[in-house]
Amino acid sequence: MDLVRHLRYFTVVAEELHFGNAAIRLGMAQPPLSQRIRRLEEELGVRLFDRSSRQVRLTEAGRLLLAEAREIVARVDRLRDLAGRGESAVLRVGIPPDLGSSVIAALIAGFRERMPEVRPAPAEMWSADQVVALTGGALDVGVVRHPVAAPGLSFGPVLVQRPGVVLDETDPLAALSSVHLADLDGRQLVLFPREPGLHEETLAECRRHGFVPDEVHEAQTLGLVLAGTAVAFGPRVDLPGLSWRPLLGSPLAWRVSTAWRGEAGDAAVTFGAVAVRVLRENAGMTDDEAVPPRRVRARPASGFLA
Amino acid sequence: MTAIEGLFRTAGVTGSLHVMDIDTGAEVAYDADGSVVVASVFKVALLVELFRQADRGVLDPAERVTVMADRHTAGSTGVSVMADDVTMSLRDLAYLMIAVSDNTAADAVIDRVGLPAVNTMLAAFGLDRTWIEHDCRELFSSMVEDAGQEEMSTDPALISRLRALDPARTNRSTPRDMTRLLSMIWRDEAASPESCASMRRLLGLQVWPHRLAAGFPYDDVAVSGKTGTLPTIRNEIGVVEYPDGGRYAVAVFTRSYGTAQNQPRADAVIGTAARAAVERLRG
Repeated sequence: MDLVRHLRYFTVVAEELHFGNAAIRLGMAQPPLSQRIRRLEEELGVRLFDRSSRQVRLTEAGRLLLAEAREIVARVDRLRDLAGRGESAVLRVGIPPDLGSSVIAALIAGFRERMPEVRPAPAEMWSADQVVALTGGALDVGVVRHPVAAPGLSFGPVLVQRPGVVLDETDPLAALSSVHLADLDGRQLVLFPREPGLHEETLAECRRHGFVPDEVHEAQTLGLVLAGTAVAFGPRVDLPGLSWRPLLGSPLAWRVSTAWRGEAGDAAVTFGAVAVRVLRENAGMTDDEAVPPRRVRARPASGFLA
Repeated sequence: MTAIEGLFRTAGVTGSLHVMDIDTGAEVAYDADGSVVVASVFKVALLVELFRQADRGVLDPAERVTVMADRHTAGSTGVSVMADDVTMSLRDLAYLMIAVSDNTAADAVIDRVGLPAVNTMLAAFGLDRTWIEHDCRELFSSMVEDAGQEEMSTDPALISRLRALDPARTNRSTPRDMTRLLSMIWRDEAASPESCASMRRLLGLQVWPHRLAAGFPYDDVAVSGKTGTLPTIRNEIGVVEYPDGGRYAVAVFTRSYGTAQNQPRADAVIGTAARAAVERLRG
């Protein structure tokens, strides 16, 4: 048996004290997790968990072994990290910088838990750069904002983020509980840089709902919003000086998915599963079904081979 | 970042461009030798071979062809959308395939001219980066096969699967090859002077105002051209002629990140990028 892997399962179950939650965190089903814990108990000749009551509890032996198990798992990770600078398997991952450090940390931690033998090498990149890197083979898998399309790219399940608007707290609109896109008319807008598909779609939607930004800035930070010169779209933020308000009717739907080129390797598939879970749980994204696809009304000038 | 790259970027596309002064050979190039999906731009090469065969007496451009209404190729203009059988001359089919990018008309011309002949001609001209892989009908079937549906989709996953958008597997060229072909038409080198004049006339009859022509909103400037359109692909090649006699062959190929079919800024940047390049050549 792969003792280190089983010890890793043990540490996660010990942290969650719930097989279901631990299985979710490990990205596996509950029955195989329970089975592996039983095998570990057989291997070690002790019971680690007390499952007789309705709660899962660590036994005395389990408590004693947990510290050692954590130590071993951490040392093995460290060993692999060191070795990883040599030749061990590396998964080159592209992540949009705006996801935030806690989401990025959860992505990496979730992947390490499931695939300790592969070292994730994350790079913060916007979608346009990720598409180039994926197509050119410089990335194995990415998390991209749609729409982006390039020959040969494949995508994982699409998740949706419904952004609200971030305002300077002294903006009169901050007094409202929600804001209509048209209320923003005449203001300047900050959008992420290097997200051309998202730009096009977001601006088209703004125009359609009566918001024609006075000027559009490309920036990674909310500095211009804090300065009171512009508004931005995004998930809820809690920062001094800023107010976040939902957009009335949720007119914007930002779509995110994993992307890779050609056949996805095991590591890329695993990363994709972890990413979907983390983006749902930690970044408040939902499944794509929520967004009805817009029916294309064909026009001659943009039709097939026009 | 060059000015041209900046223009493409703000329009949400990646692009490549070649603009050449037809008389001096002075040029502006931006990724001009990169392989691109030509889409309907290939119809210009077909037009040239049609008129060369007419010059050689292989066919008569006035020869009448009947296109049955139940044998149409997919398309949104011209014979492709007509209700009934039509009989018209080869050169009138050529007019429709250039002026409104009529796919059925183009396939009817291909049926008479043959794609191998088009590729042989391109090779003889030294345009060895240009290759016509299939006619409109076959291109459409490959898209239906890859997408599993006949409608043009805006789904990125589906669009990324299309072989028709991979230059290695569909009709392809480079911006430089295309400006060379246009220059040959304008310099009477592509065929006989009479045939070249006919081709220039047809290219000047193209109806679309939203791409190359949009960049030159001047009554005394003539813009001739041929567009190319597929999901995320917007192209146009053409010639811009100024009242002082300056004439410039232009080839602009773009690919948008966004998948929406209506992207006026992506259409318009073809004209603005071309004008920026032409103005650089005119000093």
